[in-house]
Amino acid sequence: MQQHDVVVVGAGLAGQRAALAAVEAGRDVAIVTKLHPLRSHSGAAQGGINAAVGAEDSVDTHIYDTVKGSDYLGDQDAIEFFCREAGPTVVEMEHFGTIFSRGPDGSLARRPFGGAGFPRTIYAADRTGLALLQALWERLGTERFTLYDEWDLIDLVVRDGRVQGLVALDRKGGEFQEIAAKAIVLATGPAGRIYGRTTNAHSCTGDGVAAAYSAGGYLKDMEFVQFHPTALLETSILITEGARGEGGYLKNASGDRFMSQYAPHVLELASRDVVSRAIVTEVLEGRGFTGPYGGYVHLELMHLGKEKVESRLQEICDFCRNFAGIDPVTEPIPVYPAQHYMMGGVGTDIHGATNVPGLFAAGECACVSIHGANRLGGNSLLETLVFGKEAGVAAAAFAASAAKPALHESDLEPAVAPLRGWMARGEGEDPSTLRTEMQRIMERYVGVYRNEGDLLEGLKQLRAVRERFDRVRVVDQSKVFNMNLIDAIETGHMLDLAEVIIVGAYARTESRGAHSRTDYPKRDDAKWMKHTLAKRGPEGPQLSYAAVGFTRWEPKERVY
Amino acid sequence: MTEGTISATFDVYRHDPSRAEPARYQRYTLELTPHTPVLTGLLRIRAELDPTLTLKYSCRSAICGSCAMQVNSKSRLACQTQIGPEIARHGRIVVEPMRNMPVVRDLVVDQKPFWRNYDRIQPHLILDPRRPMPKGRENPMSPEQVDRFKETPRCIACAACYSACPAVEADPAFPGPMALAKLYRFVVDPRDTAAQDRLVRIQPDGLWLCLRCHLCTEACPKDVRPSERIRDLKELAIGAQGATEFGSRHAVGFKESIRDRGLLDEMLLVRKTYGVSGMMGQLGQGIKIYRKKPELLKKPHPIPGVEEVEGIYAALDRPEAEGGAK
Repeated sequence: MQQHDVVVVGAGLAGQRAALAAVEAGRDVAIVTKLHPLRSHSGAAQGGINAAVGAEDSVDTHIYDTVKGSDYLGDQDAIEFFCREAGPTVVEMEHFGTIFSRGPDGSLARRPFGGAGFPRTIYAADRTGLALLQALWERLGTERFTLYDEWDLIDLVVRDGRVQGLVALDRKGGEFQEIAAKAIVLATGPAGRIYGRTTNAHSCTGDGVAAAYSAGGYLKDMEFVQFHPTALLETSILITEGARGEGGYLKNASGDRFMSQYAPHVLELASRDVVSRAIVTEVLEGRGFTGPYGGYVHLELMHLGKEKVESRLQEICDFCRNFAGIDPVTEPIPVYPAQHYMMGGVGTDIHGATNVPGLFAAGECACVSIHGANRLGGNSLLETLVFGKEAGVAAAAFAASAAKPALHESDLEPAVAPLRGWMARGEGEDPSTLRTEMQRIMERYVGVYRNEGDLLEGLKQLRAVRERFDRVRVVDQSKVFNMNLIDAIETGHMLDLAEVIIVGAYARTESRGAHSRTDYPKRDDAKWMKHTLAKRGPEGPQLSYAAVGFTRWEPKERVY
Repeated sequence: MTEGTISATFDVYRHDPSRAEPARYQRYTLELTPHTPVLTGLLRIRAELDPTLTLKYSCRSAICGSCAMQVNSKSRLACQTQIGPEIARHGRIVVEPMRNMPVVRDLVVDQKPFWRNYDRIQPHLILDPRRPMPKGRENPMSPEQVDRFKETPRCIACAACYSACPAVEADPAFPGPMALAKLYRFVVDPRDTAAQDRLVRIQPDGLWLCLRCHLCTEACPKDVRPSERIRDLKELAIGAQGATEFGSRHAVGFKESIRDRGLLDEMLLVRKTYGVSGMMGQLGQGIKIYRKKPELLKKPHPIPGVEEVEGIYAALDRPEAEGGAK
């Protein structure tokens, strides 16, 4: 059995930044990831990272925009800390070697993004995540920690009031393994594959969030699911908000820039929840285009000119040409909203600590909360780095004074016995059938617009799928790289999280940010200015609520 | 956007080295639209026909680099390769694991050798403590400096170039196209202070083993053009320490021979590459050539109009010439 001071699960930006902080604190650090670190989903982030470094901008404006964008559900103390760290964080990444795009004077170039008062989004063409991921990986260096790559998290082991380690599957070696840890940082990223239409990678299955939930951790604000307004039709590949930041138009089938009806001041650059609702409304009310892949609207870049489109949106040009057979220089791009980001996650304080001693979380899998009910574009890359570092520092400090973890060989069997059962079963359903069914349910009943009837029906159908999952069968009997088994592990994780999302959404009888109830269309501050907390109970999620942190900004109606 | 489906035949390499069965090709047939990516086809096979088919994939949008494999004998990203043109050209889609790395199972290879070579080039900024970073702000960088990175920031480390490279296959010492393209990215980075060291260190058992076949550039799904970056590195390396290696001396000898005579002077090239004393080691080869093609060993006369060649060289050596080392 391996043992380390700090084990980081997930190796995107948050995980790597946590690992770097823990290494620099002198701890023995390991990273467990189901991919290679450079294949993490952080690398798919396109548009940029926010920092109020321009002369006309200010940290206070960044704080205000984030508070307003969150629809007043973000904790203002956390947001203040977050925005103050932005400038130093971006400069640090530049010093680490990130190749950012530059302005004519040689300083970091900035572009406008939705919901922001000033051009505040620093970028590297339209591959900012990849640029940051490479620079951080190169800075971290492979010789200073132990890497368990292509290992899947199965369960956390919590005993005697603290985390003791984890159980994982080594894909290549084919064995179940235990790793003892004084502290664990979860940085497992998104869970978008719960939905059928998502911009997220196939690997984004919420493993860390589900493991924390099973281990007694609180999940916070899971009902707040961001739908990105502009995903490529059919494949839901992300078309960055930077496309609108650079001046792109959204048009309906009549050729109208319909955003003037929904956000008269900033049009296409309203926050994502507003733009996604606008697109869905246009399509529902018959003003969109229709085709074999459903309704859609057009994103137009043609008026920006070939030079600008091809230099600043190089990856987007490739996506459109390779995946849709469309040239964005000369043709409109068909787009429709798709699941993009989970505002919710494992509840933490601003140092990444969860309610389980020794268990920390950062990045998309965590919920501090700085995004509240709706995240602004450009704030998630910043979140990974700011809170990844905080969690790494805090986990290292915890590990420095923690006793040796008590993980036993007998801890392995309870975690892997169900998996052996799936493989031993003579008949049963394939995990991919159940996953597809879950994705259909979430898409149909728990999308951009929600209501009581849909949520109840969705919950009923989802619970039926969960029952079927008790009889899931893994046909593949090989030990090596058993993707069939991994499908089943991931599907089990996602089914847990889907239930939490629906239960939270059903309970929250108001509309706030990305949670939009047609039967309760108004924000209800008197009753619902609070975070949802979900804890695993014998009959499903048990909900409780926690106060929102306030400092200086009184709730106002949100107008863009 | 409406289009019919076609019948797509996939012949997929199957092998599980942990079992006794030999490698085989398994045929699957699906009805798919022509613009369907190969990856989507393989995932449909997994979901509908055979969940034991094993491959790596994640982002499905050519940014994570997980799904590189051989599609009809070319190293490609499965997510970025549409089935229509493959079927039109080959009648079917033969899918195999990448080359130059050991197979773990089916389409999955162990990329350790690839990552080791990446680590070997010291892929991080090397800083000189006497030249500290500006405190509290970014290093300024002019558009011209940013331009020098060229396409290398697009690299997603998919290893398609490594799979396609015959130099990797021939000599495990060769770091491979990706590692060298990455090295170029650090050599031209104005924040890095070790360009000279990097160029000196990469020459023995490294840079000059490239065969200039450009298969890496053909394979690269992100247009990084590794072979062109290797060419840039070679020019920078000669600029940094002159022609001191077999490879660089060969390149310079080649260039001078063409400049002076308009064609290749084989004897001059051997002398330039190996030096006068080193030529003795090539004696056996020389005797063989003398027996078969004695004319190759004679000093050739300059071609008529050789001064025009000189003019071309002069034009290329002017600083504004395209692609020249600055």
